[in-house]
Amino acid sequence: MSSSSSTVEENNTVIDQPVMVKEPSIAKFREEVVNWGLLYDSVATIEDPDFRINAELAKLVRDARKSIVDAFDEGRPFISNNYCTAPEVSKAMGLPSYMLFEAPFIPSSKEVLGDQLDHTAAMGLGPDLCTAIRSGIYYVEQGLVPLPAAMIGFIFPCDGMPMLHQVIKHNKFWKDMPLFCPDPPYFQDPRSIDYFANELKKMVSFLHNATGATLDMDKLKEIIDESNKQYLLWQEYNELRRARPSPHGYDIGGAKCFCVSQMFSVGEPDGTEWFGKLVKLAEDKVEQGLGSTPQEKIRMFWFDIMPPNWADELFPILAQEYGAVCVMDMFGNSPYTTIDTSSEESIWQGMAKRGLFDTPMVRQAIGPAEGFLDDLTRIVRDYEIDVVVWPGHMGHKESLGTYGIIREACKDLGVHFLDLRVDILDGRFVEKDETLDKFARFFKNKGLA
Amino acid sequence: MNNMITSSGSQREYTPSDRIQCDAFQQMCEATACVQNSALKRWKENGGKVVGFLCSMAPDELLIAANMLGFRVRGTGSTNTDLADNYFTNLNCTFPRHCLNMAMEGEYEFLDGILYLNSCDHIRRLYDNWKLNIDTEFIELIALPRQTGPDQVKFFTEEFQMIREKLESHFKIKITDDALRDAIKLGNETRRLQRRMYDLRKQDDPPITGAEVLTVMVAGTAMPKTEYNVLLRELLEELEGKQGSGKEYRARLMITGGVLDDPKWINAVEEVGGLVVADGLCFGGRIMWEDIDETIEDPIEALGRYYLADRPSCPRVVDKQEERAEFTANMFKEFNCDGIVGAKMVFCDQWNVENYMLKSDMHEQEIPFMSVEREYITSGTGQLKTRIQAFIESLGK
Ligand code: SF4
Ligand code: SF4
Repeated sequence: MSSSSSTVEENNTVIDQPVMVKEPSIAKFREEVVNWGLLYDSVATIEDPDFRINAELAKLVRDARKSIVDAFDEGRPFISNNYCTAPEVSKAMGLPSYMLFEAPFIPSSKEVLGDQLDHTAAMGLGPDLCTAIRSGIYYVEQGLVPLPAAMIGFIFPCDGMPMLHQVIKHNKFWKDMPLFCPDPPYFQDPRSIDYFANELKKMVSFLHNATGATLDMDKLKEIIDESNKQYLLWQEYNELRRARPSPHGYDIGGAKCFCVSQMFSVGEPDGTEWFGKLVKLAEDKVEQGLGSTPQEKIRMFWFDIMPPNWADELFPILAQEYGAVCVMDMFGNSPYTTIDTSSEESIWQGMAKRGLFDTPMVRQAIGPAEGFLDDLTRIVRDYEIDVVVWPGHMGHKESLGTYGIIREACKDLGVHFLDLRVDILDGRFVEKDETLDKFARFFKNKGLA
Repeated sequence: MNNMITSSGSQREYTPSDRIQCDAFQQMCEATACVQNSALKRWKENGGKVVGFLCSMAPDELLIAANMLGFRVRGTGSTNTDLADNYFTNLNCTFPRHCLNMAMEGEYEFLDGILYLNSCDHIRRLYDNWKLNIDTEFIELIALPRQTGPDQVKFFTEEFQMIREKLESHFKIKITDDALRDAIKLGNETRRLQRRMYDLRKQDDPPITGAEVLTVMVAGTAMPKTEYNVLLRELLEELEGKQGSGKEYRARLMITGGVLDDPKWINAVEEVGGLVVADGLCFGGRIMWEDIDETIEDPIEALGRYYLADRPSCPRVVDKQEERAEFTANMFKEFNCDGIVGAKMVFCDQWNVENYMLKSDMHEQEIPFMSVEREYITSGTGQLKTRIQAFIESLGK
């Protein structure tokens, strides 16, 4: 490993920053820039609008990755940040960022994920640890992600995330990297929002000290105003998904909206444009009475993260054989509230609230079980759900601990509850046929098939 | 040998009271072996209130100052999780499952209240499930920060102050600063006595085994502190100046890990020649290694600072991993150990990764470290014993 140094002049202060130059750590990102770019170019001529909307995502991912590679090559600081720790702030500070934790969730990891997870057992990690965390640890310990100039940690909503960040601090290459973790409160009361808003303010000084970048509040306001537009469009889109038949299934919208608004195109007009197209696409289908499958019979709510690696092997079969459509998933409908940008304080409060209580997974899991119940009730009613599919991801210990609460809530709501127990990342945890069998028996027993 | 094999081949229950015959120790054994022990029953019969808590970061001193008995909730005596498994899954830690099961069977009806912290994903869901299923009249959760900076200490101190006020209003009592200061003194006295007991383990041939020490430590979380301190003093008088527990051992071991309140598990380790002389457990070394600072003017702040930042932390505290590794290494050396056993409960993400880091930290210092998995209720110790034996052999002992 070698290091060079970049100098940032800021208020007459000269800050020397070590910039990691470790080729293997950036190699995967370089590869992704090429692959996402190729993917985007190769589908440029395909007209199918459903296909196009997903293909355009490839461009947003490519651009986000490229911003890191460029910064790396030019010796400019880049950071690691997260969707729930106000990514609007680092964007406004002009700091390219990537999310360390995203590796196992992007389809390009699919081919190697199994081997990587197996390797973590040899490293000494128990197989009962969430695969997302195991994979994150693997990436850090094996030097497969570029060392950022600074990192904003994400030590909620589960036990795994704080442990991942401790491994980061423990790793010999990462230990001296400045790391700031906004500390999470537990409840959703005004005191907790104040507490987290204060943590986010501290984050700005931290980033300034670590990278020399400054925060221009006007720029931040501009970015938030743009992100507000994205969220409003997302809401419009989610309204359209309530139609019978629902215009889209598991593969469009959903977590992809989250990826655009919170990860790859935070507060950027490109992202807003993407949302605009998505809304238009859904509007057209609703107008024509078209659904994601010719005959929608069973409306499902997938109450967890959509499996990035094996959803394609499951949902098309369910749609074809039973007319079962995933009309909503847990990442697809976080009721993002717009941030009031009329004052600095309202901006900080709004970002704290957005990070903690709007962002998917976090909003449900960070505090008491009510977080899950509120979403369950809202979505079951709004989308006229027939079956709540509870994947019971092996890593989600806190959600596994709500098993009885959710089952009983489904009973009260008069909706069927299917308990799967899978690993959302590692398709080997339960054989695909076993999962399909479970669906088949369930649909039959409940008189749905 | 305590753990006799009966003629039918099954193991007889380990009873640590077999060896140390003094009355004080017998009472502690009883308090550890069950939930509703005699001291607790006497307290209740005299009209005293009992408030349970999970986990060890709950401010026991606040309850003492409220003239209540703080009881650390356990699943001791539980034989199954049938009722609890309607609420938890088989991918959840067995500790909260057994606790909930016992509560659903009515074993915790004696509690007048219960205090939770969001110590881990499983415990915070125990809070939710307890709220739903168990009719405890006062249930509160104290929000626990994940770091220990000044803002976190302030936040946590406020949490304690809010709980103080809720206790006052619910039970119609007043918890004065003076009562809090006295409670802190009493709690520190307990910690000093417990450290005196730990000092005995530094001897070449300690007069007390690891299983017996755990028995004494668990008892301290289940009976009034004033009574406990008297018993502990009596026990120390009995043991100090003595050599040897009569147990033959080949290696001196340290145990680290999550919730471990069952002396039978330690006994299984000791039966195959690994005398447990030190630990970093939250029913052991971590709860008494430091005192609460009696010089801080505001006693609530003293509690907030101690429980969050000053006492040896648990893995959920993000900014203290290095300190924890140092604590472990220092204890290893101070107690002249030969190796460390990291005991991790199945499905515990915190100790899973903590042991992963600890192992490499210890290896850097050439300290042998082995991880083992366990379930909350000790049963079938054969595999554990085989692994411990192999570990001891790898130590060249
Ligand atoms: S997938 Fe769930 S358990 Fe795993 S890291 Fe994410 S929030 Fe935590
Ligand atoms: S052992 Fe781990 S998972 Fe179980 S209760 Fe303790 S911290 Fe939670």
